[in-house]
Amino acid sequence: MALLTVNNLTKNYDGKPAVNEINFQFQPGKCIALIGPNGAGKTTTLRMLSGLIKPSSGSVAFSGMKQNDDIRKYIGYLPQYPVFYAWMTGKEFLIYVGRLAHLSKEEANKRTEMLLERVGLTEAKNRRIGKYSGGMKQRLGIAQAMIHHPKLLMLDEPVSSLDPIGRREVLTLMEELKEDMTILFSTHILGDADEVSDELLLLHEGKIVESGSMEELRHKYQTAKIELRFQDDLVNYRAKIDNLPSVVTCSMDRNTIHVTATDILSARKEILAAASKEEWPLTSFAINRASLEDMFMKAVSN
Amino acid sequence: MQWMTLFKKELLENIRNFKWIWVPLVMILIATMDPVSSYYLPQIIDAVGGMPEGTEFQLPDFTPSDVVMMSLSQISSIGVLVIVLMSMGTIAGERKSGVSELVLVKPVSYTNYITAKWAAVLLLTLTALALGMLSSWYYVNLLFGELSFGELLQIIFFYGLWLALVVSLSIFYNTLLKIPGLVAFLTIATILVMKLITTIFSHLLEWSPNNISGYINQMLVSGNVPYELTGTAIVTTVIIILLVAGSIFTFKSKEMAS
Repeated sequence: MALLTVNNLTKNYDGKPAVNEINFQFQPGKCIALIGPNGAGKTTTLRMLSGLIKPSSGSVAFSGMKQNDDIRKYIGYLPQYPVFYAWMTGKEFLIYVGRLAHLSKEEANKRTEMLLERVGLTEAKNRRIGKYSGGMKQRLGIAQAMIHHPKLLMLDEPVSSLDPIGRREVLTLMEELKEDMTILFSTHILGDADEVSDELLLLHEGKIVESGSMEELRHKYQTAKIELRFQDDLVNYRAKIDNLPSVVTCSMDRNTIHVTATDILSARKEILAAASKEEWPLTSFAINRASLEDMFMKAVSN
Repeated sequence: MQWMTLFKKELLENIRNFKWIWVPLVMILIATMDPVSSYYLPQIIDAVGGMPEGTEFQLPDFTPSDVVMMSLSQISSIGVLVIVLMSMGTIAGERKSGVSELVLVKPVSYTNYITAKWAAVLLLTLTALALGMLSSWYYVNLLFGELSFGELLQIIFFYGLWLALVVSLSIFYNTLLKIPGLVAFLTIATILVMKLITTIFSHLLEWSPNNISGYINQMLVSGNVPYELTGTAIVTTVIIILLVAGSIFTFKSKEMAS
C-alpha cells in the first residue's frame, strides 16, 4: 500500500496556481526526488504535505492516518532555510522539539543522543547553535526532523545552499538514512537527485510533467549518442559517417562528431567496421546515455 | 505537558537574553525615582544653586498615597513602553526569522503555543511590577509615612490587570503581524486611542480599563475598594480573555509559512 497518496493537490496564490492539481503516490522505503527549476512549486508542495500551508483544493493521505488526524505527527520536515534558536545548544534544541512532539523526557534524551551521534554532531552538542556552520545546521535540521520517528522525512533543498564539503556530508547522510526511511526531497540540482534518489518527480510550472524510477526514465528518454574524436580534421569523416545506413543525424562541433542512430548497436558496428577498414585515426569512441539534464529539458519542452 | 515545555523554553530564553534582569531593574528604577527625588527636592534645589533670594516657594506636602501614585504614573508611561518593547517580537519575531516554521511543523497545539507565550510575558511583567512597587513602597514608608502592605497588594493586583491587558494587546498584534516594530507601534497606538475614547465619552465609559489608576487613587484615599474599581477590573478581565481567544483564533487561521 502506498505510504502517501496525493490527490489533485492545488495551491493558488492570488488566483494563480503555484501548484496545479498534482497527483502522485509512493511506496514506503523509497527515496524520492522532487525536481524542478526555481519557482516550479517544489517548496509549496512540501509545505502543503507538512501541514504548514493549507491546500486550495485536493487532499493528502498517509496510510494508517485517521480522519482529522494531525498530519504533523507523521512527517519530519526540514525547510529550505532552517532557522534555529541561536541561544540554544544543539542538544537543547533536539530535546525541545522532541518534547513538543510528545516524547517523554527519557525518550527525548535518548533519541537526542542517538541522533546527534548519527548526524555526527556529538562533539558540538553543547555549543550554541549560533556558532554552527551551514553544514552543521543542515545536519541538525535533519536530526530535528527525525526526532519523533516520522513515517516520512521531507527535506526542502537540503544541499543547495551548502559548500562542497557540507554538500558531501549531507548527501552521505541521506544515503545512510534511506536504508531505513522514506525520504522525499526537493532539489534543482539534477546531479544530487541522480546520486541518491530511487524515484523522480519532475515538477514544472506547478505540474508534474514526468515521474518514475531513474531507470524507467532513462529508458524512456534513451537517445543514446555516439561521440567520436579524431586526430585529424573531422570534415574528412563526417560525410562518410552520415552515409552509414543506421545513422540518423550526424553533427559536428569543434572537436567531436555527434551521431544519433535508429539502433545504437548496429551504428556502433558500422562505424567500427569502417574505422578499422579505412584506418581512421580515432582518439575516442564513446556511447553516452541521456543525462538527467537532457531528460528534464525534453520532459519540460513536451 | 507540551504547554510546560513551551513555557519553560520562554523562561529560559528570557533568562539567557537578560530580560529577567533588565526589565525588573528598569521597573525598580522608575518606581523609586519619584519617591526619592520628591523627598530630596529641597536639597537638590540647594545643590544646584538654590532659589533666588526672596522667592516664596512652598513645597507641597506629599501624602504616602500621592507618592505611590507618582510611581504608578511612571510605570504607566515608561513601564508600559518597556513591556511593549520587550514583548513585541515574542511571536512576530519568530515568524519573521522562520524559527516558528520548525516549531510549528511539530504536532504543537496553537492554543498551547500562544498561551505559553502570553503567560511567560505576563509572569515577567507582573514580577517586574511587584518588585518595582515593593521598592517604591519601601521608600514611601521610609520617607513619607505609613502605607499598609495590604494596600500595596491591592495596588499590584489592580494595576497588574491593566498591565495584563497591555501584554494581551501585544500578543494579539503579535499573532496578526510579522514585524515586531509594527506590533509595538499598534499596541501603543491602541492604548492611546482607548485613552482618547475614554476621555471623550467619560460619562459612558466609566468602567474603561484606562480609568483603573484613577480608581486605585480613590481606593487609597477612601480606604476601601470603590465599586467602579470592581467594575473596571471585571471589564478588563473580559477584554483580556477576548484578546487571548482572538489571538488563538487569528493564529489558527494563519498559514505558518508565507
